[in-house]
Amino acid sequence: MRASFLHQPIELDIAQTRSIWKRADRGDLLNIAYGLIVLSTVLISYIMGTFDLLPYDPEEMDLDLMMMGPFTEGHLLGTDFMGRDMMSRLILGTQAYFLPGMLAIFISLTLGSLLGVLAGYEGGKTDKVVTYLNNLIDSFPRLVLILLVVAAFKPNIYYIMIVVGLTNAPIVAASIKNKIISLKQRNFVESAIAMGFPKHTIIFKHILWYNCRALLIIQATLGMAEAILMETSLSYLGFGVQEPTPSWGNMVQAGSNYLMQGDFWPSTAPALAILFTILGFHLLGDGLNNVLEGKK
Amino acid sequence: MNIRQVTLQGDKSPAINFSTLADIFPRYISKPVLITITKELLVTMSLLLGVSLVAFTILFMAPGDPFALLLGNDGSLAASEELKESLGISNSWAGQYFSWLGNILQGDFGTSIRSGEDVFPSVFEATLNTLYLTLAAIFITLSIGFPIGLISALRSESVMTRSLSIVAYAISALPIFWLGYIAVYVSTTYFDYFPLASGFSDDGEVQILKFLFPVLVLGIGSGMISEVVRHVRLEISRVMEEEYIRTARAKGASVWKHALKEAFILPVTELVTSKIPFFIGGAIIVEQIFNWHGMGRMAWQSAQDRDFPVILCITLVAALLVRGGSLIHKIIYIIVNPRASHE
Repeated sequence: MRASFLHQPIELDIAQTRSIWKRADRGDLLNIAYGLIVLSTVLISYIMGTFDLLPYDPEEMDLDLMMMGPFTEGHLLGTDFMGRDMMSRLILGTQAYFLPGMLAIFISLTLGSLLGVLAGYEGGKTDKVVTYLNNLIDSFPRLVLILLVVAAFKPNIYYIMIVVGLTNAPIVAASIKNKIISLKQRNFVESAIAMGFPKHTIIFKHILWYNCRALLIIQATLGMAEAILMETSLSYLGFGVQEPTPSWGNMVQAGSNYLMQGDFWPSTAPALAILFTILGFHLLGDGLNNVLEGKK
Repeated sequence: MNIRQVTLQGDKSPAINFSTLADIFPRYISKPVLITITKELLVTMSLLLGVSLVAFTILFMAPGDPFALLLGNDGSLAASEELKESLGISNSWAGQYFSWLGNILQGDFGTSIRSGEDVFPSVFEATLNTLYLTLAAIFITLSIGFPIGLISALRSESVMTRSLSIVAYAISALPIFWLGYIAVYVSTTYFDYFPLASGFSDDGEVQILKFLFPVLVLGIGSGMISEVVRHVRLEISRVMEEEYIRTARAKGASVWKHALKEAFILPVTELVTSKIPFFIGGAIIVEQIFNWHGMGRMAWQSAQDRDFPVILCITLVAALLVRGGSLIHKIIYIIVNPRASHE
């Protein structure tokens, strides 16, 4: 009787992880599916851009075919104001944010986990110091801090992404901290301590790997959305990728000069790319959050 | 004990001389509340000090010698050292930081490298312009996001709720700079009005239009609508399950009157104050499009020119706004909910 009572919760846990996708809300699953489509499109585009597998040379101009709308023959997504193939430029535009975005995600996840573990696991005075640091980072509006860094150094996308990573860290830290506080009330941490596991095993294996990886994946997708937003904003402001190298931000900016004459497509196509991609990462993150972390 | 029960049972007058405002903001502010507020004030000041330290250190690490710029063509290293000595400027980080901090505490933020004017008055004016823009935009965002959040909290599984929240997500993912251009296009083509005319002229009628387009663009395009929807939905559905709401419903009292404090006042102040940094970020882009003479445009210009005194001052003022907002939120929270001061 007693033994079966002890074993029950573990079996329940396994049963729960198995059926978690079956019990999930259909809307959440749709959101995740859409997000995964966007993620794989971005990945494929990044690979195509890296190995130069583009339908057209993105800098080749065709002055007979300027400002063509979508579904033009030969140019599926039309051409821009210089007759350059829109699809090739959009595909190559992922180069501007993908790798830098990964850097930002790496920084925010490592620093955020470190701060979160310190605050949640150690507690007490350490928690106060971490809270102060988080509030300090939060005191800077992100774009203002980026402009400060741009003024001090040079407009380099990797510097900018370091700032994005740093400013995202408090959000990651807060979610890890809350998770750890709720985990500490469960018995397995206490029993791991009692069984004499070293601290780093408990923190890295039992807490971060077994129980926080879903959280970290969710934060990574949201971080990518943030990185895309920042890269495009800064390219728009003229501190990012410069013409003729395409970035979705500078494509909107350059295309907008023709908007007043009624030529919408050159600026709208990259704007839609930004919209669908950021939407995808947001929906993926939130959907995963609802399913894996059970927050409604 | 008995007396208390009797009065509760015998209490027929409805929940009773319930003057809403007095209920939300108690007339007396107790001592623990005052102590907590003082503590928050001190924390805010220490954070602002931290901000000044970080911002100064970033610029201190910047490559290049600003004095070389000041000296022009004959800016050799020796000449710049000589100039520093004659001006009494320390070479060390600490020396420079503390003399700079001393200056700004006396209200002297230095002079702009670009214009040669005092930094503070121009930044102050720009900050006011940005505040008008951001506060009005926050109002727009809330008046779109709050109703959607409310509806989805009350009818969580309907098709309309689903589609509304997808729309909110989509709007939030819209790049604000593209939205700005579309607004300029629409206003010039359909309203025959060019919103780029800069500054605040005195002709009243046009001024409203001038105000309207940037505010709408920032309010819709700031990317905060989905956050507002999510926050409001979460808070309201949480409050609606509280026992005092069930009690109010059971005895036929107005649910909204009871829920007002936790489901409206607290979420709204939290959203307004915590989203200030994001709106300032969005304002940088909107001011750029509409040629609005605010802090964001000034920050962009000073980053372009590497105008260190200006960008430092703007960073400090922006941090002051963020911290001030957070302080106001905490004060309102503690006054409305005095129990929090015992935590």
